[in-house]
Amino acid sequence: MTDKPSDLVQGTLDMLILKTLELEPMHGYGIAVRLEQMSKSVFRLNAGSLFVAFQRLQRAGLIRSEWKATENSRRAKYYVLTDQGRKRLNSETREWGRQVAAIARILEAS
Amino acid sequence: MLRTIASGLRSLFRKEQVNQELDEELNGFLEMAAEEKVKLGMTRKDALRAVRLERGSLEVTKEVVGDARWESFVETCWQDLRFGWRTLRKSPRFTVVALLSLSLGIGGNTAIFTLIHQVMLRDLPVRDPEQLVTFDKAIGGGIFGGVDLGSYGMFPWYFAHQLETGPGPFQGIASYSSFSPKVSVRPPSSTASPDSNTPAIMVPGTLVSGNYFSLLGVQPLMGRAIGPSDNSTPGAGAVADLSYQFWQQSMSGDPAILSKAITINGTPCTVIGVMPREFQGFKLEVEPAALWAPIMMQPVVFQDQSYLTPAFAPYFLHVFGRLSPQAATSHAAFQQSQRWLDQQARTGIRAIEGNTISAARQQEINHVTIPLLPAQHGISQMRSQYGDSLQTLMAVVVLVLLIACANLANFLLARAATRQRETATRLALGSSRARIVRQSLIETLLLSIAGGALGILIAFVATRALIAFVTQGVSATTLSPTPDAAILLFTMAVALSTGVLFGLAPAFVAARTGAATTLASNARTAQASGGRSSRPWQKTLVTAQITLSLLLLVGAGLFLRSLRNLQNQDFGFERTHLLVADFNAQLAGYKASQAAALHQRLIERLSALPGVRTVAVASAPPISEGNWSSDITLTGYTPAPKENMNSVLNRVSGEYFETVGMPILAGRPITPADSAGSLKVAVVSQSLANHFFPEGDAIGRVLTIGIDHVKGPWQIVGIVRNSKSNDPRATDPVRMTYIPLAQIDPFLPTNQPAGGTATPALPQENDDCFAGTLILRTTGDPSGSIANLRAAVASIDPNIPLLNVKTIHDQVSSFLTHDELISALTGLFSLLALLLAAIGLYGVMSYNVVRRTNEIGIRFALGAPGRTVLWMILRESLLLLSIGLVLGLPLAVGAAQYIKVQLFDLNALDLTTFVLAVTVVSTMSLLSAFLPARRATKVDPMVAIRCD
Repeated sequence: MTDKPSDLVQGTLDMLILKTLELEPMHGYGIAVRLEQMSKSVFRLNAGSLFVAFQRLQRAGLIRSEWKATENSRRAKYYVLTDQGRKRLNSETREWGRQVAAIARILEAS
Repeated sequence: MLRTIASGLRSLFRKEQVNQELDEELNGFLEMAAEEKVKLGMTRKDALRAVRLERGSLEVTKEVVGDARWESFVETCWQDLRFGWRTLRKSPRFTVVALLSLSLGIGGNTAIFTLIHQVMLRDLPVRDPEQLVTFDKAIGGGIFGGVDLGSYGMFPWYFAHQLETGPGPFQGIASYSSFSPKVSVRPPSSTASPDSNTPAIMVPGTLVSGNYFSLLGVQPLMGRAIGPSDNSTPGAGAVADLSYQFWQQSMSGDPAILSKAITINGTPCTVIGVMPREFQGFKLEVEPAALWAPIMMQPVVFQDQSYLTPAFAPYFLHVFGRLSPQAATSHAAFQQSQRWLDQQARTGIRAIEGNTISAARQQEINHVTIPLLPAQHGISQMRSQYGDSLQTLMAVVVLVLLIACANLANFLLARAATRQRETATRLALGSSRARIVRQSLIETLLLSIAGGALGILIAFVATRALIAFVTQGVSATTLSPTPDAAILLFTMAVALSTGVLFGLAPAFVAARTGAATTLASNARTAQASGGRSSRPWQKTLVTAQITLSLLLLVGAGLFLRSLRNLQNQDFGFERTHLLVADFNAQLAGYKASQAAALHQRLIERLSALPGVRTVAVASAPPISEGNWSSDITLTGYTPAPKENMNSVLNRVSGEYFETVGMPILAGRPITPADSAGSLKVAVVSQSLANHFFPEGDAIGRVLTIGIDHVKGPWQIVGIVRNSKSNDPRATDPVRMTYIPLAQIDPFLPTNQPAGGTATPALPQENDDCFAGTLILRTTGDPSGSIANLRAAVASIDPNIPLLNVKTIHDQVSSFLTHDELISALTGLFSLLALLLAAIGLYGVMSYNVVRRTNEIGIRFALGAPGRTVLWMILRESLLLLSIGLVLGLPLAVGAAQYIKVQLFDLNALDLTTFVLAVTVVSTMSLLSAFLPARRATKVDPMVAIRCD
């Protein structure tokens, strides 16, 4: 059951969403697909956890949203990384790197 | 953070739009996912289904997203609130009963707490009130001679003044008159005419030392407070500070009042200041002081000779001090202040008693102590008078509220049991248990808050009534029924805790419902099994109600019987046909030499009134608050050392005994023939005669009074029956001495030690020539003669003020207000409690019968006789009743011990009361159980078995 969000390391979903938005604004489905592609289908996200995360990030001011037409000329809500979100992404990426390195050192030591 | 709140509020108030947006977005999301699958070759229908499985359905996702928002909590609470409101509206009978019992319970609590707060808990509105200490209790009041320094918290002026000027370890020591006599005040006339035309007002005035206000740290609202310079020489300082209330009510809040002259008892005085609204004196009296004057004004305010001379220094002041900050916090420093004060008192006593003090007396003096008592709430007569009763009443209203809570909890438990299927359905549909508990609690909180709001209204009305009762119609009083912040907070807290108290149990019973079992089985077994889980609760609650009702009934019974004993006791005088009226001829300008003639005219004029049998004047009515007393000496009786030779005195006209209905036991009464010229005579009470002359030879003895103006000698010519002249609760009969008014010299004896000043031998008026009370014995209802009395007195002299015209019944009642209050209220509350308990028991029993209809039907069908079924139902309530009684009786015995001191002539374990209480509780319980039980016997088995 790899499609459960709880299988994500706690609190990493927000960081991953920010990461997918780093290059360009995307709509919700696009983000889900991109996450699955990038993780080589290790993560499969259900709509509930995804949209709760959008709502959370939006309220924290890390992303904002606007309605736009998709390439298939369907109306969709696009999420855009804000400056604050970009800063947060950088700091979280750095922090994540540090932690992963530390955990790896511990695991290798034994 | 702000953004979160803003967006939260947005979705709260523009719910439709936000939901629509979410809807569209989610739909888009799922559509896109489905399209992807269609591209891979699935049919559209399969694709949608696959997406729903993979990603979750639209509806569930919406719920999940919605729940993640904080505002959704508010929203569901709002939903619960509306749901609660709807359920309450659907059962209006339950709602009305619940609201009524809650608001009565909460209202009672709030009303009593309002009084407790005002009488007992409120700090004095002064600087650092916790540093204030009073020197001994200082709750009495009066003028004493010949007691030790500090006894009854009383001090003479010279000693108080000595402490004031040298306060030792204290920050300061100040004094004030122990009571506030009514003075006649004429406000400054608005017209230019002299003051004689403006009517006088009778208001209480307090004498204060020069440092009184500065030591308390009270700043005047305007002008200045009385200072040491106003209090430097006797007779100087004709100034006064007014209370805010008096200034507003009687001086119309005149801003130019300062330095205007008013007259106090006829002496012109300058108003120097007005005190702030909240300050009503250090000693809080039912009728607060309207003005404060320097102690040097004592002869004017008391209308008496000076108490400020070394030769005549009676004890009339209370003293208080402000501890040093260290002494207020540290016990050792406090002890040091205490020791210093005791030393001052002992030195003072030795100085009075001179050089020849026996060793035994030395020892006694060494043990004299004046306890320093905390006074941060001030000194309050009401507190000492009503404190105990208020505490008892508070306990009573708390019990009533508990019973009301138990009732509501019971109703809700019963309802929770019937709503079990609904609860089970909700659980099965995915509602969380927390949500169900919350919903249930919100419903009860809705009830209790509404009950609290109604309770505040009830409390306001009730407090007004209580205050009116306590103050007996005194116009200006320190008590106010308006709830302040503390009261509102209290009511809120009571309401909320009540809600939680009676809501929690049903809520948990509801939440414990097992979804699967209840839904699986049919409703009949569901109710029976669910009912069982709540039945121990219900039984406990009913038992508790029976226990508490018994407790309250016993309390009320004891108080009622005690009051009956007080009212029906033998007071020793006529209690039905007397009218008494206080009057003050001095205020109308009469001289002592004119008093006798005035009394004569009053008696003649009033005797001629229709319906009046006899008339007398006296210094005090047969029962009165104050008392005029003194040591006496008797020929033929040698007092033991330090023996109490005190006797209460009354100055009476001829026919006094006949008028008040006191039978003469031996000798003769005082008659109109005992006049200025004839032999000075006295009549004493039986208790006095028996105490000093047990052989029965009191008549013919000569009695001398320790007060110079009425010294005597008086020859005892008669013995009158004992009477209660002061305290209806006193068990030892008061020793009374009656002397004829007509035989008191209108001038003070000239050999009186002069105050050291070079006054010529101008004879001084003797104020003891005046009577203070008119007493009329009527043939019919005495209140019918009030108008005639007023008219008759006015026809003699319209300037004579008549105060407190009342029947002897009202006069006696005024001594029992406290007992009447507490027995009326406990009686009322315990009836209320009983009613609530009956409703509760009836509710529970009828619910049980309804629930067991099916079972009862089967029993009938199998041939059980009606009697057996009746007994089966009754047995359950009999068991509850017996448990309640077994628990309640020891509790009631304990509670009776607690109120023992408040009872009069009644054993705390009064058998009649206990038997009556048990009977009433049992009858009530059985009756409320019998009605539903009888209904059970009328069950038709055919209907009952089919009923679901």
